[in-house]
Amino acid sequence: MRSRSRPVAEARSGERAARWMFLAPAAVYLLLFFGYPVVKNVVMSFQQYTATTFYTGSAPFVGLQNYAKVLTSDLFPKALLTTALFTAGSLCGQFVIGLGLALFFRRRFPLGGVLRSLLLLPWLLPLVVSGATWRWMLDPDTGVVNAVLRGLHLSSSGIPWLTGTSQALVSVILVNVWVGIPFNTAILYGGLQDIPPHLYEAAKLDGAGPVRSFRHVTWPLLRPVVGVVLVLGVVYTLKVVDIILVVTGGGPADATETLATQAYELSFRQFEFGRGAAMGNVLIVISLAFALVYLRAGRRARSVREGIA
Amino acid sequence: MISPARPPARRIAALLAGATALLLTAAGCGGGPAPGEVTSITVLDYYTDEPEHTQWAQTLSDCGRTAGVKVEQTSVPGASLIPKVLQQASSRTLPDLLMLDNPDLQQIAQTGALTPLDRYGIDSSGFAPGILSTGTYDGKVYGLAPYASTVALFYNQDMLAEAGVAVPRTWDELKAAAARLTRPGRYGLALDANATFEGTWQFMPFLWSNGGDEKQLDTPQAAQALQLWVDLVKSGSMSKSVLNWTQADVHDQFAAGRAAMMINGPWRIPALDKDKDLHWAVAPIPVPRAGQTPVTPLGGEVWTVPQSASKARQEKAARVLACLNSPSTMLALAEQHFTVPSRTAVAARYAQQVPSMAAFVESVEAARARTGELGVRWPQAATGIYTAIQSALTGQQTPEEALRHAQQIATGG
Amino acid sequence: MRRAPGRGLLSTVVGIVLVALMLFPVYWMVNASLQPAGNTLRGGWFPSRPDLGGYVTALRDQGRNLLTSLVVALGSVALSLGLAAPAAYALARLRVRGAGLVLFGILITQMVPGIVVADALYGTYSDLGLLNSYAGLILADSTAGLPFAIIVLRAFMLSIPGEVIEAAQVDGAGQLRAFRSVVLPMSRNALITAGVFTFLFTWSDFLFALTLTTTQDVRPITLGVYQYIGAHTNQWNAIMATAVMASVPAAVLLVLAQRYVTAGAAGGTVE
Repeated sequence: MRSRSRPVAEARSGERAARWMFLAPAAVYLLLFFGYPVVKNVVMSFQQYTATTFYTGSAPFVGLQNYAKVLTSDLFPKALLTTALFTAGSLCGQFVIGLGLALFFRRRFPLGGVLRSLLLLPWLLPLVVSGATWRWMLDPDTGVVNAVLRGLHLSSSGIPWLTGTSQALVSVILVNVWVGIPFNTAILYGGLQDIPPHLYEAAKLDGAGPVRSFRHVTWPLLRPVVGVVLVLGVVYTLKVVDIILVVTGGGPADATETLATQAYELSFRQFEFGRGAAMGNVLIVISLAFALVYLRAGRRARSVREGIA
Repeated sequence: MISPARPPARRIAALLAGATALLLTAAGCGGGPAPGEVTSITVLDYYTDEPEHTQWAQTLSDCGRTAGVKVEQTSVPGASLIPKVLQQASSRTLPDLLMLDNPDLQQIAQTGALTPLDRYGIDSSGFAPGILSTGTYDGKVYGLAPYASTVALFYNQDMLAEAGVAVPRTWDELKAAAARLTRPGRYGLALDANATFEGTWQFMPFLWSNGGDEKQLDTPQAAQALQLWVDLVKSGSMSKSVLNWTQADVHDQFAAGRAAMMINGPWRIPALDKDKDLHWAVAPIPVPRAGQTPVTPLGGEVWTVPQSASKARQEKAARVLACLNSPSTMLALAEQHFTVPSRTAVAARYAQQVPSMAAFVESVEAARARTGELGVRWPQAATGIYTAIQSALTGQQTPEEALRHAQQIATGG
Repeated sequence: MRRAPGRGLLSTVVGIVLVALMLFPVYWMVNASLQPAGNTLRGGWFPSRPDLGGYVTALRDQGRNLLTSLVVALGSVALSLGLAAPAAYALARLRVRGAGLVLFGILITQMVPGIVVADALYGTYSDLGLLNSYAGLILADSTAGLPFAIIVLRAFMLSIPGEVIEAAQVDGAGQLRAFRSVVLPMSRNALITAGVFTFLFTWSDFLFALTLTTTQDVRPITLGVYQYIGAHTNQWNAIMATAVMASVPAAVLLVLAQRYVTAGAAGGTVE
């Protein structure tokens, strides 16, 4: 027995190695392109890492100076508030409209499927393209949006979409909502499809109208998916740089600077990599806080779904 | 900042640059013939607008021919030139010949990215002292500008005549004229108040003419100048979009008849001349009180030769640079772009040949260099100034508050 | 769920109106791209006299960038699928130690902002000579596609009946054969879905293009559009023409690979 078991064990360990070879390349990639940057960013955030570093090769450690500079600058509280408003506004808009569209497309009607996939287009377009188009449309003097508002006599002088500080924030939220609706619709539609039809029939037999069946059947069963959609939404929205850079460039008067655009600005326009890294880390901490919620929501979603099945 | 560490830094940079070049060549990205026989050089500038872009392409390729090289020109928007230069300096991909807006030269020279021009035996005598000073850092000439320019008030003659408005000479007249010229779909005045150095550049004549100074921004003189811009936006005589416009946008607004007057530079004249239906003229920038002389900023781009691994390429670039700054090219460029040659003798000849430019020749001679007082600290002050402009025009802060903040930016870091 | 046919038609009409509203910006982009150039700064509601001048300018200035984007996107698809397919197989079917950790890691990657990755890569790329290179962009851009591809492929491979795979596995060395001759062919649809999305993610990338290229040599189309906005404000027809060309892959894939796109949009992320 013993003499025969050894080759088997060897074969097993060889097999284990072979199995690992399937996973290893991807794992190495993830370590190099996610693990390493996160670690390097932490290190850089304690260094005076600037344009001259590339000439001198030296980046002296400066302790918490980068964090102190970043967190005490006038821009930080402003950017934090803008980030919060941008995220909350985008999520509300995307979710409410996305849910409405998902509920609408749940009913079967001719061309429903085609229309539903056409709806995905805004999500698939490059963000720069969407941003450029909206910027053209929102131009206060020559844009089509103000032309329509004037035509309908809703606004005589036009709204300063890109030039008023609060309006500019509304504009970038608007664009981000437009980009995010298809994703929300698609996921929520998927969630709705998973709700067993017999529950609706039972509700109907109980005399429930559409509102009551939404409140008592749809919403409770959709809630886990809703949680996932919202938390994913937060995490993705916190990272947005493209739309803001293209539509407003962070202006006017820094009114649309978020933590992410600030991190970009510090690293790649001012070449203060240390401070940019510090700002990036603040962003990661916020994202991680939501990540925990995401993981818990994910677990709940799975258990609820398994419960149904 | 890095001056103490400079010699070893240079050596490391050269080493790294050499290593990078090797790597690139090994990777097949370097391309081109062996060192020694340089057949082309790369050039970076911010002449993105037509017809300027094509005109410069022509001039560069002509000068390239005299040096025996092909010139590969790249143009990026003005606001992204400095980030691009910093990025390329850090990745050691700077072009062989680099154009810089004159107030940025000292900052870039300070990082050690540029080479002094005396190394190539380039003659910098006979240049007007103002424009030569902007190309000088630490006693050495790093950049030469073939021409200088400044800003002025352009106005649409038909619109002024139709509204019965005289060309404004004072701030009060400017406000009144802009208000009377404003119609649905048209603003009285357009200028560039965007959050870049361009916005700062356009504000300087207002600041300086009122006795303001970049060394001390939180003064009543500066606040009054900023208040003028705020008033123009508040009264609706100027679009709020000035917050986002570049000088090219300002030009487009004026050319499209959506603005009756604009602040802009003479290099726009070729484009304005293309439209035969547009009847325009130029006047000095209005001053606070009648009888004053406007103090305008000295404009113009300096050409530099960045550090690089290849001496041969640098030599070629220097020869193209010398050609651009030769009296004949300078005169041709000035005629093309309606700017003022920077060698005083050439400028004098030019004023005689093109009498309509005599006024500009004079105003450029009186123009003030932005780095004259602050040197390498100018970019910080300039950042403070455009930040203040943005805060005040959006109504976030009063001009006084905004300028107090600007002073903090200018002196802090 | 049965309804009168009239009501279904009403829904169709409402649906068309909703989709038309949502897609208006896309229409406006196409419309603006067909307006003549010039300083008019405004166009009509319809391109009544379509002018292709914008496309001529855009192709002249940006044609090369379109090719660059294509190369980078295809490279990223190859890299992402090449790494993701075996990894997904291992995570789904092979009891590999540390699989849970890898899955957790993939979830965590979603929290890492691209700007943080770019920050760190810039310095390293600069030292390695990977700035301004196709390889550098392909590697960086795959940060979007690879985690997504693993999730989609793993979800699918979990659904392959175990007996099918076991039948193909004779011994340890058979793993590879089982993977190549059974799992991959069966996962064709999931591979297409993952590939389509990886392509679109990479094609749309802006941040890495913006930060990891410093010259004109390797310039994706998204960066081309961005620089156009700053440089040629009076040529909105050319900007919008470039935007239209940059949208072509999304539109084409939506039509040709509708099934896979819908599957990817609904699946992947939630599972």
